[in-house]
Amino acid sequence: MSSFSALVHNENIKIYSRIRTWIMLFLLVVLSILVPVLTYVTSEPQYRPTMWNSFQMTISVMFFLNTIFTVVIASDAVAGEFSWGTIKLLLIRPWSRSKILLSKYIAMVLFSILTTVLLAVCAFGASRILFSAEGTSMPIGGWSPEAYSLLDIGCRYIELFLTAAIAFMVSSVFRASGLAIGLSLFIMFAKDVFTAIFNPERYEWAKYLLFTHMDLSAYLVADKGPGGVTLGFSIAVLAVYYAVFLLLSWVVFSRRDVAG
Amino acid sequence: MTANIAVQEPVARLLGVTKQIGKKTLVSDLTLDIPAGQIFGFLGPNGAGKTTTIRMMVGLISISRGDIMIGGRSIRTNFEEAVAQVGAIVENPEMYKFLTGYQNLRQYARMVSGVTKQRIDEVIQLVGLNNRIHDKVKSYSLGMRQRLGVAQALLHRPKLLILDEPTNGLDPQGIRELRDYLRRLCRDEGTSVFVSSHLLSEMELMCDSVAVIQNGKLVDVRQLKSVGDAKAGPQSREILFEVNDPGAAQALIGGTVEAEGLVVRALRSDIPGLNERLIGGGIQVYGIKEVVVSLEDQFLKMTGGEGIE
Repeated sequence: MSSFSALVHNENIKIYSRIRTWIMLFLLVVLSILVPVLTYVTSEPQYRPTMWNSFQMTISVMFFLNTIFTVVIASDAVAGEFSWGTIKLLLIRPWSRSKILLSKYIAMVLFSILTTVLLAVCAFGASRILFSAEGTSMPIGGWSPEAYSLLDIGCRYIELFLTAAIAFMVSSVFRASGLAIGLSLFIMFAKDVFTAIFNPERYEWAKYLLFTHMDLSAYLVADKGPGGVTLGFSIAVLAVYYAVFLLLSWVVFSRRDVAG
Repeated sequence: MTANIAVQEPVARLLGVTKQIGKKTLVSDLTLDIPAGQIFGFLGPNGAGKTTTIRMMVGLISISRGDIMIGGRSIRTNFEEAVAQVGAIVENPEMYKFLTGYQNLRQYARMVSGVTKQRIDEVIQLVGLNNRIHDKVKSYSLGMRQRLGVAQALLHRPKLLILDEPTNGLDPQGIRELRDYLRRLCRDEGTSVFVSSHLLSEMELMCDSVAVIQNGKLVDVRQLKSVGDAKAGPQSREILFEVNDPGAAQALIGGTVEAEGLVVRALRSDIPGLNERLIGGGIQVYGIKEVVVSLEDQFLKMTGGEGIE
């Protein structure tokens, strides 16, 4: 039997052999350099942000794109094989469906790590060259700018990670990549609205909603999160949702008849 | 595997296989042994349950009742070991269009152990794709995709090759080539082939035996080659005489008058004598031929000429 890493390798080839993937990576690199450049060009010299401010701003803008791109990859992971018809050749190999699904999930997560590192490096490099590290950048929540930037990226990555898990689940449950992309991006944009409507301060049950906890960055400046819950509580809620998403993908993918 | 394939166990066994979806029974209590070292045809009209059966054989869909054993391993309880002995194309051979033919084969080669670069080249040679293997699959014709499909199915030297309607969309040349390399495969590598089709004439040329399925039920299993063997013996058979006046001919030598001429039941050695009598009686004979009951006729008889229920 060949090794499991060969399956992940196969999935990586399917991702990186497509021109689409390289266009996404190219856009990510160019735009995360372009945002600091535009900030530099359009700001008066005396009001220029510090290097860390520029970096954080670029990250906050670019993470939308990063999430969208990861969602595109996650949505195609299973649904793509069905729409290409290649699923029939993939599933008749001496590998269980669980392992094939896992290899797809891992390849998708690897892609998200690659894009995140790529965008952070480009945003940092451009900010570093254009802006001064010295200056009146206020320490936020008692963190140094370096530490805060890193934690901020961490929080945003968790959000991306969960959004991608939703896309992956929809992709394997409904086998429709368009639906997976649409639904997960809707959640990404609408979650703040949901949090505002179902405010955990007003409704006790709202603190068990996924949306309430997707953005953990509030904990960087305060001990209490939405509705007065702790960081541990938020993480527990996220973990339960995450487990449910993956479990659903797995159950449906490994049981379903591949017909038609 | 020994070279003596005649006495082998069946390569695959279908044991009371049933597939139900809701209230519909697509395949009903199908029991069938697929002999080793043969090209075995699986014949039936569209919608008879051929593809459903094949999908169950490779684990793409679940089996409602019964079991399928491949090389003695159950596809239900021992999927990985059972399916490792199978190479298959289910319906159209869809490949990753953005990869080259070669990259597609590498994908499948990585998923099993022991497929060397040399083996990949060997298989490419076998299906005759040498010149185009490094082109993207999106530029391939249907015939080339079919060949690539066969190539991916053969990579790991499966005991059983399952092909679902492999002649679909192939031109006569392609069909002939497919037939030739399936024969070669069966003879040289000892691979058993299970091939489904609704094209009767094709199956007649290609297969050693056929099973006929209709409305999800097995109708008949027969060996085509033994039918051929029987022809060699001194048996009487139906002979058609094409004549200008069948009525007059019937008066001379008996038989029955049919649309094409006079049909007489006779031994092969009697034909010249009968002919002489006809000519002596002033009958003009335009042709003499044996009436061969084709598989198609047999098939229509078996299935009662019915369509899908």
